[in-house]
Amino acid sequence: MTDAITTDRWIRRLNLVQLVLAGVIIMAPTVWMVLSSFKPSFEVTAYPPTLIFTPTLDNYVELTKTTPFLSYALNSLIVTVGSTALGLLFGIPAAFAVSWTRISWPAILTLAARMAPGTLFLLPWYVMFRQVGLIGSYTALILSHAVITLPIVIWVLLPSFDGIPRSVFEAAQVDGCSVTRILWRIALPLVASGVAVSAILAFVFSWNYFLFALVLSNGETKTLIAAAFNFIGEGSTQWGALMAAASLIALPPLVLAALVQRWLVSGLTLGAVKG
Amino acid sequence: MSDTAATLTQDRQKLEMSALSAPAVIFTVGMIAFPVVYTIWLGFQNFSSTGKQSFAGLANYSKLVSDVEFWHGLWVTIALYVLSLVLQLVFGVWLALVLFHAKRLPGIVRSLFISPFMMPPVVAGMMWLVILDPSLGAANYILQSLGLPPSDWLASPTWVIPTVALIDSWQWTPYVALIVLGGLQSLPSSVYEAAQIDGASAFKTFQRITLPLLLPTIVTAAILRSVDLLRFFDIIYITTQGGPGNASNTLNIYGFRVGFEFFNIGYASALMLTLTAIVFGAVLAFNRLRGAVAW
Repeated sequence: MTDAITTDRWIRRLNLVQLVLAGVIIMAPTVWMVLSSFKPSFEVTAYPPTLIFTPTLDNYVELTKTTPFLSYALNSLIVTVGSTALGLLFGIPAAFAVSWTRISWPAILTLAARMAPGTLFLLPWYVMFRQVGLIGSYTALILSHAVITLPIVIWVLLPSFDGIPRSVFEAAQVDGCSVTRILWRIALPLVASGVAVSAILAFVFSWNYFLFALVLSNGETKTLIAAAFNFIGEGSTQWGALMAAASLIALPPLVLAALVQRWLVSGLTLGAVKG
Repeated sequence: MSDTAATLTQDRQKLEMSALSAPAVIFTVGMIAFPVVYTIWLGFQNFSSTGKQSFAGLANYSKLVSDVEFWHGLWVTIALYVLSLVLQLVFGVWLALVLFHAKRLPGIVRSLFISPFMMPPVVAGMMWLVILDPSLGAANYILQSLGLPPSDWLASPTWVIPTVALIDSWQWTPYVALIVLGGLQSLPSSVYEAAQIDGASAFKTFQRITLPLLLPTIVTAAILRSVDLLRFFDIIYITTQGGPGNASNTLNIYGFRVGFEFFNIGYASALMLTLTAIVFGAVLAFNRLRGAVAW
């Protein structure tokens, strides 16, 4: 009996060791990035690398001075908020209709964007947007990023709508409520938390998306992610500023993801797994 | 309510439902379906360096067959795909088991574990570029302190694919782990109790019971990762742009450069349609596999 308890304790200790090991591997690169961003310029490239240093904000100051970092950030915000809003506007009613009618092809259609390489769409978009003079416009960027946000909104909300008992709707129907009214007045308040999760996930993935802005933006509308490439170009010796830029770009999605981490898995697998 | 009135409300309801999904459907047809059809048409066009367009028939596809760069890109794509997928599935299942036995995880720990795949791949590329710098990076310092030879990592034609696979696996293994963890948590506990009574060892229990029951979840994770891995772009574009030389020139990177650096839109369309067919083929194959291992 005592033997079993000792073995059990050892197994638990072994598991804790593995957990810590995994945690260190996962966290170390990010910690290193953030540390480097606060290092004085001569310490960033010191070899052997230093762990103890006097932190400074020089890299962040330099970043905002030598690059239009803040206007890139504003572009990212405009494109991300715009595409998230568009995704919600189109996605909420569609998810509701799919959940109600069980006719799922509209939801599956939007998934196509999740499967095909982005370049497949980018080639015709480039030709089309150029013809109507929209290359470099926020409109083109928001529309292209809504292709990312729409399936996220629909597939995160589907299980939420499915979870509402049908009797709730039937009662409302008997009272003479139109379908649209049922959606906005009855169903939507019931899935409010699902809407919040879908909005945050849509925001994160739109913010993180690289490829479309690379081609569809111009100097004025360039998003942070698309501009990251420029920071690398200039920064072969300016690692401090590069890491400051990387830290700032990663901050919004990380903070938002931390807020909804509990609901993330089922949302991220587009309903393939119940988390 | 009379029958006709009932059909009337039903018809009205159908109409209202169609109206609700119409914006999403119209948007998707306009932004995806129509452009894909347009890409198919573009694949039959030839774009000269001056931007003149002419019908090319199957020329883009016959060019593809004899294009050394295409076959090289296909090889790079598949090598990177297989290596990354194996790494992420093996370590993902391991991490899921570790997390499963840890039972209560505080929210902050969960947040830290999901942080790699919630940050932009572009940022992951930036940080690893600095860590893996051949002369001043922290990675080589650690290797040397352990008495191991330093590596050129992303700058080495031999090591660039494993290195990129490593970066992507750092980012997405926790994601695979969380999916598998969801599968573990939904397994019936009764089978474990039976195994315990039969005196099966921990390893045997895992091999004979947990793993087979977990296979459908693992295949689901494999599908979700396949879709991303076969279209590999962000990390490579940020770190190597397909280099050194063409050592990490995946099909997606190659197609992008053909289209937007050399402006050969017709040939790029043919390349991207081929890549799309490969992605869909992989998804279909895994879907059949999922059917075979379902329980």
